[in-house]
Amino acid sequence: MTIFFGKLAEFARGRARALAFGLAAAIVATTLPAATPASAHGERSQQAFLRMRTLNWYDVKWSKTEVNVNEEMVLSGKVHVFSGWPQAVAKPDVAFLNVGEPGPVLIRKGAYVGDVPAPRSFTLQVGKDYEYKLVLKARRQGRFHVHVQINVEGGGPIVGPGEWITIKGDMNNFTNPVTLLDGTTIDLETYGITWVYTYHFLWMAAAAVWILYWFMTKGIIARYWWVKAGKANELITVNEKKFGGLWLAGTMLAVIFGYAWANSAFPRTLPMQAGLLKGIDPIPLPPQTVTAQFKGGSYTVPGRELAVKLVITNSGTEPVKVGEFTTAGLRFLNPEVFTTRPQFPDYLLADRGLSVSDPTPIGPGETRELTVLVQDARFDIERLSDLAYDTDSQFGGLLFFFAPSGARQGVEIGGPVIPRFQAGATL
Amino acid sequence: MSLTTEKASGAVRAAESDTIVNYWPAYWTMICLAVFYIGIRIYEQYFGWKAGLDSFAPEFQTYWLNLMWTELPLEFIAFCGIGGYLWKTRDRNIDKVAPREEMRRLLALVGWLAIYAFTVYWGASYFTEQDGTWHQTVIRDTDFTPSHILEFYLSYPIYIIAGWGAFMYARTRIPQFAKKISLPFLLFFAGPFMIFPNIGLNEWGHTFWFMEELFTAPLHWGFVFFGWFALAVFGTACQVLDRVIELSKEYEADVLSL
Amino acid sequence: MSISTEAGAPAGKTWKSKEEFLGCVLLTDWILLVVLFAVVLGSFHIHYMLLAGDWDFWIDFKDRRMWPTVAPIVAMCFAAAVQSFLWQKFRLPIGATVACLALLVGEWINRYDNFWGWTFFPINLVFPSALIPMGFWLDVVLMMSGSWLVTALVGSMGWGLLFYPINWPVLAQYHQSAEIDGVLLTLADLIGFNYVRTGTPEYIRMVERGTLRTFGKDVVPVAAFFSAFISMLIYFLWWKIGTWFSNTKYIEAEDI
Repeated sequence: MTIFFGKLAEFARGRARALAFGLAAAIVATTLPAATPASAHGERSQQAFLRMRTLNWYDVKWSKTEVNVNEEMVLSGKVHVFSGWPQAVAKPDVAFLNVGEPGPVLIRKGAYVGDVPAPRSFTLQVGKDYEYKLVLKARRQGRFHVHVQINVEGGGPIVGPGEWITIKGDMNNFTNPVTLLDGTTIDLETYGITWVYTYHFLWMAAAAVWILYWFMTKGIIARYWWVKAGKANELITVNEKKFGGLWLAGTMLAVIFGYAWANSAFPRTLPMQAGLLKGIDPIPLPPQTVTAQFKGGSYTVPGRELAVKLVITNSGTEPVKVGEFTTAGLRFLNPEVFTTRPQFPDYLLADRGLSVSDPTPIGPGETRELTVLVQDARFDIERLSDLAYDTDSQFGGLLFFFAPSGARQGVEIGGPVIPRFQAGATL
Repeated sequence: MSLTTEKASGAVRAAESDTIVNYWPAYWTMICLAVFYIGIRIYEQYFGWKAGLDSFAPEFQTYWLNLMWTELPLEFIAFCGIGGYLWKTRDRNIDKVAPREEMRRLLALVGWLAIYAFTVYWGASYFTEQDGTWHQTVIRDTDFTPSHILEFYLSYPIYIIAGWGAFMYARTRIPQFAKKISLPFLLFFAGPFMIFPNIGLNEWGHTFWFMEELFTAPLHWGFVFFGWFALAVFGTACQVLDRVIELSKEYEADVLSL
Repeated sequence: MSISTEAGAPAGKTWKSKEEFLGCVLLTDWILLVVLFAVVLGSFHIHYMLLAGDWDFWIDFKDRRMWPTVAPIVAMCFAAAVQSFLWQKFRLPIGATVACLALLVGEWINRYDNFWGWTFFPINLVFPSALIPMGFWLDVVLMMSGSWLVTALVGSMGWGLLFYPINWPVLAQYHQSAEIDGVLLTLADLIGFNYVRTGTPEYIRMVERGTLRTFGKDVVPVAAFFSAFISMLIYFLWWKIGTWFSNTKYIEAEDI
């Protein structure tokens, strides 16, 4: 019986999916040239201050950009939790490492913060840096934009950089094997689905029989008439009551049998696991030898230029240069430091987007006032220029300093900026 | 054309018009609506993913916002048009409707109610839970997401128009509904109608709690409250049946001996 | 001008013949059934999805405490209202079953066509809660007793207590466990973890996090009993609401 219904469900599923896909394919065929794929996942509508001053993503890497169905890839990187976390957003006391993707096109086989598996929510400490890794397994064929993302309770999804991932193959071949505690392996992609259909649809069919039985006895209008005529109590016969009793007895027997069967078929079940994960530690970073004190800033709207005045103190042993400013997933690079273009999604990488008023290295023990200019159309395209219209017009981000030895230090900068609406306005 | 032919065709018309019940206009309306909604669903399948994830993308403007700016005025025109037409063509001699004609209109109203019920299903069930599908899967980055453009601004106005049509049909053609206002029928129309302005509460609430969709959040409960009023279909159906019985008294004995 | 016509029918009569009358009644019966079913479906579905929907959508919300508490209570509203109407006006003992079936039809269409067909979540993540045997229970108790008071007391008790057992046959398999990277997860947790929901983070789950244990280890009986208690109160209230919505009052046009 179960096999029959299973096959029926499978058949129906196949037919319906084929129909839906067929119709969708017809639309695709006629409209493909006109449609352009979306790359963002809604992050551009988030307020600039929220994106700049919550999580600063860096060193984000996608191990592959082309995978086959069933093949795994790794999305990894680091994230700095901004010290000046905005008042309008709840602190990341409850956070969840997530993936920004259009539905489960890749499934999340593993999520780690540091080395700790993080299938549930955890706490992030403000001002600290964390390393994360997401192991993703390709499920649905196509080309999709895949972001790292951390959801913060009371704050919403905070989306990191995204990259196009091409998945080849066929979703019908996807499997998701999982080994249970008792050692058996199941395919979670399809596990139990036939039984779910069978169980639900049998009960629904029984409900339809019950309803139609009563409907067919006298219909609706005649019964209404009978009740109006004061003959309500004649409408249900003794035999019908007996039938109802039997129906209920059968139902209860089925319920008892189903419950007992489930308990014997699955004798070892556990409740769902919940609660905050503990033991998630930040990256142990060495003490900073470079500091940057914010001395004011402005954003020139027509020129898409963020100008920030900083007093930088280098108390290290090597001279340093300002090489990169990263905020809201965007990277603005100083071409004097980055002579080759790093591997990173183009829509977020302004490889000539950063300049400084004095390009000479800041020597050990030196304190210097500098103006850092961040200028690129991406600032506008990614809607960070809307900072000028936010209720909290403060920017934030990480400024990276580079030493000749290759050592890199990220320094958090941020503060209020004054919008300039006239072209040519200066700091 | 000869006089005989004219007479003959007139007789045919009379015979045709004497059909007491004809649900085919309702069937056809529902079939057309179903085809339309399936088309919409296919559109959504493709353009939801391709152009619906980022409300600031130009393709979102093209494929989604343009749809909304097209549908809203059309719906407003349809609402006014149906109400206006039914009012304009109302029976101005409502006290003198013959029993058979009244029955015919009552049954036509049942057809209208069928269309309304059909659109209520699509709006309140299909597209509303679909909204959960979309918003719990992707990031809800605007008030005008693809699922909202089809749910709030297409499927809801369509059931409102259908409910309005049913209400106005009864109001302009059926004596019992024309002389006084049926309380259940008014609630049956007005309650679900209020779901539409209640979108204001929903979106205002979401400005506080950005982007994550918990379907059971209290800010959604306004929809629930107004949705309850669809149960006034009970009283509406009773009012129709009461009159059907009154008009069919001659067969009471037959019915009560069934 | 009247647009009334009386062509072809005997003067003053509604029906040409008994056959015409009976045929019309038969056909209209079906239409009314569909009308009532569709309206109850839409109204109940929007009510249920916005009061208990998250638990109903996702397997990793279907816990031992919140889900068996909330779902029967919320479902009881419409079961009672539809029963009130169909019993009092038609003596039909099918109200609760109609409500449950209508809801499940709406849910299944959406789970299949949208959760699976549009966003590609496997059905084992998104199948709805089973309710039908509860509907049978409530309907037969009303039919046998003929009393909404008895149904409120006995019927609602069964309604609340039956919910978890009738769902367990499909749910149990997803409460087997696996060890993933040294972390214990039930399959329900794991499905939720594997199949990414960008807009639904893990912390949003409203599931059992408490420590109270009853009967040795389980919280379900207490949740079910509490749910049954509230369902009784809901039944009383919603029976009356169903009755009120069945009113046939008219008001003067000037009153609105």
